[in-house]
Formats: sequence, structure tokens, C-alpha cells
Amino acid sequence: MDTQHGQDELIGKRLVPGGTGEVMIELRGVEKWFDDFQALTGVDLVVGRQETVVIAGPSGSGKSTLIRCINRLEQHDRGRIVVDGIELTDDLKDIQEIRRETGMVFQSFNLFPHLTILDNITLAPRHVRRKPKKEAEEQAMQLLERVRIPEQARKYPGQLSGGQQQRAAIARSLAMEPKVMLFDEPTSALDPEMIKEVLDTMEELAESGMTMMCVTHEMGFARHVADRVVFMSDGGIVEVDDPDTIFSNPREERTKLFLSQIL
Amino acid sequence: MAAAIDAPAAVPPVRPRDPVVWLRRNLFSSWPSAVATLVLAPAVAITLFRFVRFLVVDARWEIVRVNLALYLIGPFPRDQVGRLWIALAVLAVALGAGAGAIAATARETAEAAGRPLNAGWGERIRRAGPPVLLVVGILAFASGVEPVLLTVGALGLGAAAAAVTQRLSPRGRRAVPALTVLGIGASLAIISRFGGVPATDWGGLLITMFYTIGALLLAFPIGILFALGRRSTLPVVRWGCTAYVEFFRGSPLITLLFVGWLILPFFLPPDFPTPGLVTRALIIFVFFTSAYVAEIVRGGLQAVGRGQREAAQALGLTPWKQTRLVILPQALRAVIPGLVGQAISLFKDTTLVLIIGQSDLLAVSRSVTKQDQFLGQGYIVESLTFVAIVYWVISYWMSRESQRLEARLGVGTR
Ligand SMILES: Nc1ncnc2c1ncn2[C@@H]1O[C@H](COP(=O)(O)OP(=O)(O)O)[C@@H](O)[C@H]1O
Ligand SMILES: [Mg+2]
Repeated sequence: MDTQHGQDELIGKRLVPGGTGEVMIELRGVEKWFDDFQALTGVDLVVGRQETVVIAGPSGSGKSTLIRCINRLEQHDRGRIVVDGIELTDDLKDIQEIRRETGMVFQSFNLFPHLTILDNITLAPRHVRRKPKKEAEEQAMQLLERVRIPEQARKYPGQLSGGQQQRAAIARSLAMEPKVMLFDEPTSALDPEMIKEVLDTMEELAESGMTMMCVTHEMGFARHVADRVVFMSDGGIVEVDDPDTIFSNPREERTKLFLSQIL
Repeated sequence: MAAAIDAPAAVPPVRPRDPVVWLRRNLFSSWPSAVATLVLAPAVAITLFRFVRFLVVDARWEIVRVNLALYLIGPFPRDQVGRLWIALAVLAVALGAGAGAIAATARETAEAAGRPLNAGWGERIRRAGPPVLLVVGILAFASGVEPVLLTVGALGLGAAAAAVTQRLSPRGRRAVPALTVLGIGASLAIISRFGGVPATDWGGLLITMFYTIGALLLAFPIGILFALGRRSTLPVVRWGCTAYVEFFRGSPLITLLFVGWLILPFFLPPDFPTPGLVTRALIIFVFFTSAYVAEIVRGGLQAVGRGQREAAQALGLTPWKQTRLVILPQALRAVIPGLVGQAISLFKDTTLVLIIGQSDLLAVSRSVTKQDQFLGQGYIVESLTFVAIVYWVISYWMSRESQRLEARLGVGTR
């Protein structure tokens, strides 16, 4: 077997965008250090427009760090990150621009507890996009219809179930009309019966043509919705492939081991 | 079996209100508690009885009746008192309007959230209790109907202003905060400007309230700025704010007042107009209180989870808007009890202006006993009791309102 060819193919899978084939997110040699601990060891990945990429891997492998670098919640130390043609540098304007284009959904929802659901959703459109209040509220109600909790608009986050809170958080991100959505284990803090409602929302979002990077352990979601699955370990990408291949015929031992534990 | 299923399970259990049960549970639940009850109950009862008997039977309240104006306004020139009444009316309107707007906003928010506030009459009476008690208690010593009518008139104007702003649309209410601040400023100007009375000639409850309200209005925003400054990414700002807070928290207030009174003028450039005595005292109160406010708010800022800032960042809010719209509101809600505690402390600490020779409420309560008519007859007891009750009612009122605010904002429940 020609290992050189195997390597090229592997690298090809990382660097050829899926989706429409246009490049949306480009990561080249991204490194991240926490003091003298290297959390990302030179990550290369290209995500295409309208593509859904699922990132899997054991705890501590750098999945969160990777997607948090994309909207500068963490600052990468080496390499290039380009989102929709804008390179992430220390230029504050570029950082703001990328954050406006990029929605993020957190494991712990992070809704603003002092604001109603409606105010949570309209906050950024009104204060970042300078939308008039009425317009922002109309849009928020449409989004709440879309995630199927319009009746919760006037409640506070603490009055909602976990699944409802996470769907509200998704609506809050969508209100900025982002081009990219980043999900960091969005269902890990939920009770089993609520996981499905959030995954359904995410699936609909993927079908509507959103570009998505999802860190998740929901392999059913990965199988059905992802265009590609990225398997990470120890701060690097071990394997990238379409879900069918990676689940039925993983190339790497570490992937096999991880999948055997999780499935 | 079937009966158990058919039984109406949704009825809450009835808890009989049996006084014997209540007594046993609360006062005689164990031997030590029974002994404590038997010892303490008579002690409390005797003390209370003697206190009430003093208040209504023994006390010689003529010292308060004769000197009521001194307690309230100190050496304020009597021919200028008209200004005070006008200022009181303006202040009542300003504060009434502000309170009305806050109440309306709270009501609408609660209704929108699907849990309307049902303020019953019982609660309203309990809320109004302390201030009504205070006003009635003071007016009871007034001579003639004129002060009573003027006071009732001013309070009526305040209530009317509250009723009007309560009925305004949210858009119409937007101007109210500015009008309230303007009204407070206007009432100050009415007293002191346009040939009025400089603050050095104010005294009694008037100067106490002036220092308290003035220092609070200035110290809260300044304290918040210093709290934010201590978390700045710029080391110079951080160190500066830390030094400020630690310096003023580490110095006794009385020392600072002496510094402001005696030493500060020497540090100012020679041709720099030295601020008046009252301004200097006010500045010292602001420095001192804002340092404590900064420390309280810093605790609140630390209590806001990291995820909140991250979510705000991810939405593309600028750093200042992240702080103003997301972090600060949560931090301040978390520290309402501490902030109100600081306000109450300040209210009581203003008695220290006595050392710079101002006749505040406490100073008056001592000086009136030296009048020929009352000298050497132990009138200090009545005088101090009156003043203590005034301080206590106002402090208690602030603390009650803060508890209400806390419950209203649902601190700790969501
Ligand atoms: N703020 C931080 N400071 C120090 N180490 C961190 C920090 N954040 C993450 N790490 C470390 O980086 C590694 C990757 O973390 P993370 O990206 O959260 O992993 P994953 O999301 O895959 O579980 C872990 O070993 C973690 O301990
Ligand atoms: Mg993680």
C-alpha cells in the first residue's frame, strides 16, 4: 500500500471544502498554547459554504478550543484562520466582523438570565445591527416560531426547560443572521427527552443551508446530518471523512477505539 | 384501592392554625428553648412596656415641640423657609414621578412575563407604614395647621405626579429619569441659589438628607466605574483603581473629614478656588462611599459566570456593551443588599459632620438640651430618643424597600 498516496488523500479530505464547494472557513496550521501546554497542534481544515461538519473526539482533545478560536473566544498562537474571506488578526474591527457573522451555541446555553427570551434575542440585533425595536421583535417572534417556542417569548430563561433554553439560544444566535453557526456540545447538558428537540432544530438549520461546525457526541446526528466528520485527538485532527466511511470503515486505530467506546 | 385513585389528590393538605401547636413548635420545642422562653419573654415584655410607657406617658416631649424647626433645618434662616416648602414640593413631584415610572415598568414587565404583581392592600399599607409614621410623628409636634397643610399638599403633588407617570406610555416615560434628576437639582437650586441660603447655614434633618442623597447619587456611579476599572485589561487603570479603593477603605471616615476640612486647602494650588466646607465634606463622603460601593460591585461582577461574557462576545457586542447590557445588570442585582446596606451606613455616618461644626440632626439633639429652659433636667433622653426613632424609621424603610426590590428582581430564583 502506497502510504504517500494515503497521506495525500487524507490531507485532501481536510482541505477540499464540502457543501457548495466554496470556502467558508479555512484553518491552516492552527496552534494554540495554554502556557506550555499545546491544546492545538497545527490544525488544517477547510469548511465549505452550506456544509455541516461534526467534530468528535475524546474529552480534552481540543474540540472546544478549536471552534472557540474561530470566533476569537480563544486566541490562536500560530497559523491562519479565515472566515468568509476575513482573516482573524488582532484587528478589533475584523474580530467584531467575524463575530457578527458567526453564531455560537454553548453547552450551558448562556442565555442572559435578567432578560426575557424576547429581549435575549433582540439584544444583539438592536445594539449591534441597530435594528429598530419593533422590527427586531418581529424577527425574534419568527425565529421563536421556527424553533417552536413562540409561547415562551415573554418568560425569563429560568422559567424554561433545558431543551427550550437551548432552542432559545439557537434563536438568539440566528437573530444576527450569521453565515456560520458553531455548536459546542449543545445537547450535553440536557436530559435525554430534550436532546431530540434540539437536534431536530439543528437538523432543520443544516437543511436550510447554514454552514455549521458541531462538536457533539450524538453519532446519530453525525450520521444523518453531517457532510463530513472530523475526528480529533490530542489537539490534532486524526481523520476526516464522510460519515458513512468513518463509521463503517475508519482508517485510524484511535478512531476505531473511540467509536467502539461511544457507539 | 379504587377509592385511593378516585380521591381528589390535587387538594393541598390543610394545616390547622392552632395557637397551642404554634407555641409548642416555636417557643417550647425543647427544654433549653422552654427555659430561654421563660427567661426572655418577661424581660422583653418588661423592656417593651417601659419603653412604650416612656414614649406615651413619661417623656417630656415639649423639648421636641419647642425646637422642631431646629431638628429639621438647624440654623437655616427662618425668613427663607418659604424656599424649603417650594423645594419640598418640587422634590416630591420629581421623586413621585420617578417612583411612578419605576412602578409602571415593573408592572408591565411582570404582566408580560405572565405573573402579574398583585399588590394587595395589606402589602401597600405595610409599605407605606414607615414613611407615613415618620411624617405623622414629626407633624404631631408641629404648631399650627400651616405646616401640616403644606406637607400634605407637597406629598399630594408627589402622589399626583406618580399617578400621572404610571399612566404614561412606555415611550412617554422615557423622559422621566432625566426630569427626576432635574427636579432634584432644581430643588437644591431653589434653596441655595437666587439669593438663597448657602449649605453652610443648613442643618438638622435637612443637611443629613442633603449629604445622604447627594453622596449616594454621586458615589454609586463613581463606585461602579472604579469596580469596572479594577477589572480593566490596562494595568495602570487597574492599579490606580485598586489604590483608590484600598486607600479610602483603609482610612477612618472621621480622619478623611478632618483632612477635607483642614488639610485639603493647603494642597490646592494657591489661585485655585477652594471649594466650600460643605462641598468638601460632600466630596469626602463620595470618596469614602464610592470605595465601598466599588468593592461591593466587584463582588457582584465576579459572581457573573464567564459564559455570560462569552455569549455576549459571540453575539458581536462591543466590550462596553457587553459590560453595560449583560454583565453589569446581573452584577448589580446580585449585590442590592450590600448596596442598600452601604446607603444606610452613609445615612448614619453623616452624623460625623458634627466634627466640622455643622448642626446636623444629631448635633441639634444635643445642643437643644443646653437651652436655659431645658438645661440640666435630663432632657437629652427625650431628645436622643426622638432622633434615634427618626434614624431608625428611615433606615428600616430603606432596608424593607431593598428586600422588596430583591424579591421583585428575583435574585437567587433565576
Ligand atoms: N483556559 C484554559 N487554560 C488551560 N488549559 C485549557 C484551557 N482551556 C482548555 N484547556 C486544555 O486544553 C485541552 C483541550 O481542551 P478542550 O478544547 O476544552 O477539549 P474538548 O472540548 O475536546 O474536551 C484540555 O487538556 C484542557 O485542559
Ligand atoms: Mg469541550
